Amino acid sequence: MDKSISREPMLEMFIFETLQLIEQLEQDVLSCETCNQLDSSAINEIFRIMHTIKGSAAMMMFDNIAVLAHSIEDLFYFLREEKPHEVDYSKICDIMLESADFIKNVVSKLENAEVADNNAYELIDKIKEYLLVLKGSSPIAISNSTDPKASNTGSEQQFYITAAKSSPDLKQSRFHAVLFFETGCAMENLRAFNIVHKLNDLAEDIEYDPADIIENDNSIDQIRNKGFEITFRTAKNCEELENFFLNADLVQNIDLNEIEAEDKDQLVPRFTAQRQIILDDTEEELPLKPVEKLPDEGTKSSGSRQSIISVNVNKLDQLMDLVGELVISEAMVTLNPDLTELINLDNFHKAARQHRKIINELQDVVMSIRMVPLTITFQKMRRIVRDMSKKLNKELELEIIGEETEVDKNIIEHLSDPLMHLIRNAIDHGIESREERNRQGKGEIGKIRLEAKNEGGDVWISVKDDGAGLNREKILQRVREMGLAIKSDLDMTDREIFNYILLPGFSTKDEISEFSGRGVGMDVVVQNIESVGGKVLVDSSAGNGTTTTLKIPLTLAIINGMLIQVGESIFIIPIRSIKESLRAKEEEIIHDPDGNEMIMIRGDCLPILRLHERYLIQSHVEEIQDGIIIIVENDSKQLCLFADSLLGEQQVVVKALPRYLKKINGISGCTLLGNGRASLILDIAGLINH
Amino acid sequence: MKTVLIVDDAMFMRYTLKQMLEKSNFKVIGEADNGMNALIQYKELKPDIVTMDITMPEIDGIEAVRLIKKVDPDAKIIMMSAMGQESMVRDAIVAGAQGFLVKPFNEEDVLKALRKL
Amino acid sequence: MPEVLKEAMEEGEDTQKGKFLTFIIGREEYGIEIRFVTEIIGGIQMITEVPEVSDYVKGIINLRGKIIPVIDVNLRFKKEAKAYGDRTCIIVIDIEDLSVGLIVDNVAEVLSIAEENIVPPPDIRAGFHHRYIKGIGKVGTAVKLLLDCNKLLSDEDINTISEIA
Repeated sequence: MDKSISREPMLEMFIFETLQLIEQLEQDVLSCETCNQLDSSAINEIFRIMHTIKGSAAMMMFDNIAVLAHSIEDLFYFLREEKPHEVDYSKICDIMLESADFIKNVVSKLENAEVADNNAYELIDKIKEYLLVLKGSSPIAISNSTDPKASNTGSEQQFYITAAKSSPDLKQSRFHAVLFFETGCAMENLRAFNIVHKLNDLAEDIEYDPADIIENDNSIDQIRNKGFEITFRTAKNCEELENFFLNADLVQNIDLNEIEAEDKDQLVPRFTAQRQIILDDTEEELPLKPVEKLPDEGTKSSGSRQSIISVNVNKLDQLMDLVGELVISEAMVTLNPDLTELINLDNFHKAARQHRKIINELQDVVMSIRMVPLTITFQKMRRIVRDMSKKLNKELELEIIGEETEVDKNIIEHLSDPLMHLIRNAIDHGIESREERNRQGKGEIGKIRLEAKNEGGDVWISVKDDGAGLNREKILQRVREMGLAIKSDLDMTDREIFNYILLPGFSTKDEISEFSGRGVGMDVVVQNIESVGGKVLVDSSAGNGTTTTLKIPLTLAIINGMLIQVGESIFIIPIRSIKESLRAKEEEIIHDPDGNEMIMIRGDCLPILRLHERYLIQSHVEEIQDGIIIIVENDSKQLCLFADSLLGEQQVVVKALPRYLKKINGISGCTLLGNGRASLILDIAGLINH
Repeated sequence: MKTVLIVDDAMFMRYTLKQMLEKSNFKVIGEADNGMNALIQYKELKPDIVTMDITMPEIDGIEAVRLIKKVDPDAKIIMMSAMGQESMVRDAIVAGAQGFLVKPFNEEDVLKALRKL
Repeated sequence: MPEVLKEAMEEGEDTQKGKFLTFIIGREEYGIEIRFVTEIIGGIQMITEVPEVSDYVKGIINLRGKIIPVIDVNLRFKKEAKAYGDRTCIIVIDIEDLSVGLIVDNVAEVLSIAEENIVPPPDIRAGFHHRYIKGIGKVGTAVKLLLDCNKLLSDEDINTISEIA
């Protein structure tokens, strides 16, 4: 490789593409494993994937990968061409997954700038061995697996060169040429073929030696040692011939003799020429252009069948920001206070509505660009289930529902590890051993269900197993042991008890297995999920199984908000948190001994939070019946907010509070209103939990 | 300055080749990842030279050479082949390719081959 | 914005050294290095109050789409709150990516004060705001108290900021 080409972006590219191809490969293999056969399109695809990886790895001089890929390519070539009958698909799948792991391992080292010196000799031997087995059992014996048989193309074995059209009037001479190719160039037989093919345009009666240049690889040696001999008849003169031969690809030496009369032995030497290897004499001085930087690749690869392009993620972010600002500025125009003084604005409003509509559509499209389906993340889980199934000797079935559900690209990266952990937990802790399951009459196959769905601005992803379920008592015991109990046992709901397992260091396992038991897993899951604004919920039923649910917001940037007035201030409540609003009467308010206000709503007693009191805002509205009560909800807990009035709904772009200000409880961010003023967004979860 | 259309289904190969060519006196004016796209791009961009990978999905390199040669008999196409693809290279030459390079290739080989076209 | 100020701000940073924007708070004149000043907003309407902050943090404002906090310098200096009049302005300063608006009674002018005319503040413990003074500038017979912007956005506050950030 030319060192002057910067390695970094190329390495990035190599890593990116290789990992993608390997992922594809794994999916193909896993889906074939379940049907216990490899259909021809899968074989084709795997062949191509390995061929591509071989090529790229060879370019980058990663021989360990290249050689492995080559041996797999051979194996799959055989499978494709010969379609042998007795194939041990399970063995092939094992080999493929082992190979995939090897390649991933090497790539991972490359990513971390470590020396990737692992070799796959054992694996390669295994592959070659199996290929021999296949060949032995196959009725059609192939002599050389690396040489694709010409019979495949179904075309001629013999190759005929059609006569060139030559003008009979021109004087033609016969020539005899011997040429040598540059040392080190490969496939000399084909280069010879190329020359003959081109010579066709200039000459007739072409004969050459060695004659069998396509079929016979030994011809390569002959060409290298003795040169390639051609005899032909042509009207072209020596100069033209010299040009022709010397310009041919990689010809080093040409010895051309004219043949007088019909006697081949009478050779009149015409020229012996040697092409200068240094081409620089003839080439102009080329100014070197700086190596162009390739922009970071975006989400999808161009190798897949749909029409997809790679986009620089930075550009996407810029686009998102601009759309956010557009939404704000739209509000600033259409809700501008200056307009309140004007009358007869029908046309304006009509135009404004259209404007709004288009901007909303734009916003939807831009949001959707960043949305990526969970498919790949979910499919990755199949591999884990398969591996653990084998390791733990449990029969498992993974059901995936809703993989087409889309999630913001930023968030998807934070989902992979947590999901892996949950699946591992389900398999390791949840699903019982075969014997145990049989005893319980559950059926040997442990079922795991991975489901995703969109609901109310959030994505719900759940991992459900039909295993043993969580042991309520054991957890309670552990909770007491660790001194974490706040309420008495009776007061805690099942859910609350189960959610203890999310705490760091919490584990009821007595032993630590390879997969779990250390108690460091669930809290990391929680951290990952909470970092993207989500929540983890655990539910279980003894003997029936456990369900862990991840609730993740669809998008953080733009929300639908309800504007409320409190004194001189305007606050915003995210619409999705609002259950309902109502006017209450003084009589309906209950006061507890501490003076806290509450109200009964359909059997539930809900606390009331007066915003003007909480935030020390001067408000004229003090009586309950003069203001409005807004019932908000977060994570099944409800709260009544008391404000002066509702002002209306508006889409708002969520902006973080300036860093200079400390974090304020109950405020999650701020935004700009149509009138240009800044407004605070209420953090409902924060208010409820305060 | 000669213009080049790079055809290869592997993103990595396209990128690497592009880097090599653009350091020299070639301008890569288009990329295609299969034979069909290659034909479409060729018709639209009319490059001076085409580098063509042999193994590609849907329409392979050889077929692409045939298609392009039909559209433009003077098209200059160089095949990018791997070891062991002899008969395919042969077919490509018969179909009209000017020459071929064997992977893995280095910058010098590529530039030499292209300069000759 | 006064022309001379605009010009001063448009100059490169090097030429901005030694130039100060002076403003009035109470009865004293203060100066801030012009290189920190990004703009001046006349008038203080449209401040959105923010609850649970120090008394001198008046709230947040919209500065062409960017939301920045504003502080009342009077209150920052623990002086008596002064009513806002029609000369009251907000000076927006930008320090290390932090933008903050300073509410001042009156903006005076841009002055060049040479190094030799700046003396370190006297070591009197008089007045709370002493902590924020970097030096005393002599302009003719008048004296301008030159503010240390970093300290103004304060040591204790900066600690809290870095906690959150």
